[in-house]
Amino acid sequence: MGIKLYQEPQLENPILIASWPGIGNIGIIAVDTLRGILEAEEFGEIEPWDFFYPKRVLIRKGVLEYLEFPSSKFYFKGTGGKDIIFFIGEEQPTEGERMYAEGRKAYHMANLVLDVAEKFKCRRVYTSGAAVALTHHTTKPRVWAVPNSENLIPEIRGYGNTVLMSDIEGRGGHGNITGLNGLLLGVAKKRGFEAICLMGEIPVYLQGLPLSYPKASKSVLEVLSNSLKIEVNLDKLDELDQKVERRIEEFYQQIPLEIRGQLDRLKHVTYAQPAEPGPITEEEEKRIMEDVEKFFKKRGGGG
Amino acid sequence: MSQGYPVKIYKEPDLRRSSLVLGWSEDMGNLGRKATGYLNRKLKGQEFAEIEPEDFFSLGGVAIEGNLARFPESKFYACQEHELVIFQSDSPGAEWYKFLNSVLDVAEHHCRVKELYILGAMVSFSAHTTPRELLAVVNSAEMKEVLSQYDLARDMDYQTPLGERPTLNSFLLWIAQGRNIPGVSLWVPIPFYLAAMEDAQAQKKVLSFLNERLDLKIDFSDLDQEVREQNEQLAQVRSRFPQIDDYINRLESNLMLSEEENGELIKKIEDFLREGD
Repeated sequence: MGIKLYQEPQLENPILIASWPGIGNIGIIAVDTLRGILEAEEFGEIEPWDFFYPKRVLIRKGVLEYLEFPSSKFYFKGTGGKDIIFFIGEEQPTEGERMYAEGRKAYHMANLVLDVAEKFKCRRVYTSGAAVALTHHTTKPRVWAVPNSENLIPEIRGYGNTVLMSDIEGRGGHGNITGLNGLLLGVAKKRGFEAICLMGEIPVYLQGLPLSYPKASKSVLEVLSNSLKIEVNLDKLDELDQKVERRIEEFYQQIPLEIRGQLDRLKHVTYAQPAEPGPITEEEEKRIMEDVEKFFKKRGGGG
Repeated sequence: MSQGYPVKIYKEPDLRRSSLVLGWSEDMGNLGRKATGYLNRKLKGQEFAEIEPEDFFSLGGVAIEGNLARFPESKFYACQEHELVIFQSDSPGAEWYKFLNSVLDVAEHHCRVKELYILGAMVSFSAHTTPRELLAVVNSAEMKEVLSQYDLARDMDYQTPLGERPTLNSFLLWIAQGRNIPGVSLWVPIPFYLAAMEDAQAQKKVLSFLNERLDLKIDFSDLDQEVREQNEQLAQVRSRFPQIDDYINRLESNLMLSEEENGELIKKIEDFLREGD
């Protein structure tokens, strides 16, 4: 079980941007969109067989032609001064019925990704994922940023449309990042890399739907490209967002009027600090969450 | 054998150029367990090794089956006289690549296995009166050529549908391909209303092929008797329940049943075969 590099590109102080699928596929869409825009070139992969169950078999005229596994690929792009290594994992290496990677395999995969980063003398890592939030799908998602070192906080405070955990209402700087998008941050810290996880907000009532949420991917990509000082054209992401938005609206109209009324109030959330009286009280927040939960239970798990 | 593989060898088998027959316990129609069990019984297979379960199965308790506690088992049996290795196992729930490689490590390094036969069953929407077919998927052109003289459907085209995953049999066949072990995955379609029960005809079909191919000289009179008994039982259900007879008649005429009718047919047949009433 290891790394296979097809070539060894000459890279100068590269940064690593890594992502795996997660809620709304927010991180992976952001990272893959950037990879596509920059036309980054594939240069390696993590061999899949010990991490994943195969995803497809092709049998032709009775002969097994090939077995395809979820991919875990590395790409690179020289951007004139700041080279980038991308890592995109098609699946998280889960064990048993779990949804996100954890345990031995996840730790091993995180280390393999960082082995490649280290080989090319990369010292900065970005990961990306989703932040489930009490927001509305018609509002622009913020980006929650979690660094793995105190030194990075001033830099993050300079990003637009970005909040630290301590800025999030009622969180007091605490939280969890599930799966490899979070774990990589911790393993990076252990190995002396500086790392930041950028999480686009997804409304709480959309987290269980089998839909991507490109609106949040766009917010993440805006932050990422600004931080890297790269100009990117986000038209394709806008197109995707419009398509998904229509499906979200269809779903939204199916929500019972009483619950929808509660959710509509989220349109007016203005991200108040905990000390300030916000437009939604804690009690109302609790009620919204209970209503949303009830609705999804009735629908049979939200799928 | 690769280091660290959790295989326990009790006794080195004396095999020179053997074939490995593999069946999973939770197969449709109980085919894997029944067919490998039958071979073991008839050919006096001797248990010589097993794979320890802890890396591959969720050990959060035990399953109860037929009033008895069951524990995952993955055992190897050797039939020296016939140069045959039988592997009977529960399907692992994790670390599949490691598990399947462990199987082939034992096969290659302790049994000098030259060919692999993987048994499997699939659902068919045909009636039980339709003769069973045997479909073969091979991992090499040579194996396809070798099998061309047998009564097998050998030209299957298949691609995993979206939202589904390949079978463990395909995974094993692919690993064997990488290790240059010629192999075939054998599939018997089983009528859907027998899938949760047993299908003696399906067992006979796959065992007859192995008997011929591996020159095992098995006398199948006991299995033939089982096939007759099962057919008689199914004929009884048909004569006692006209609705069930009508459903099976329609399947025999290649007509589809509704989901509700399928459910009713399954329930009636299963109840009857379990209780004999």
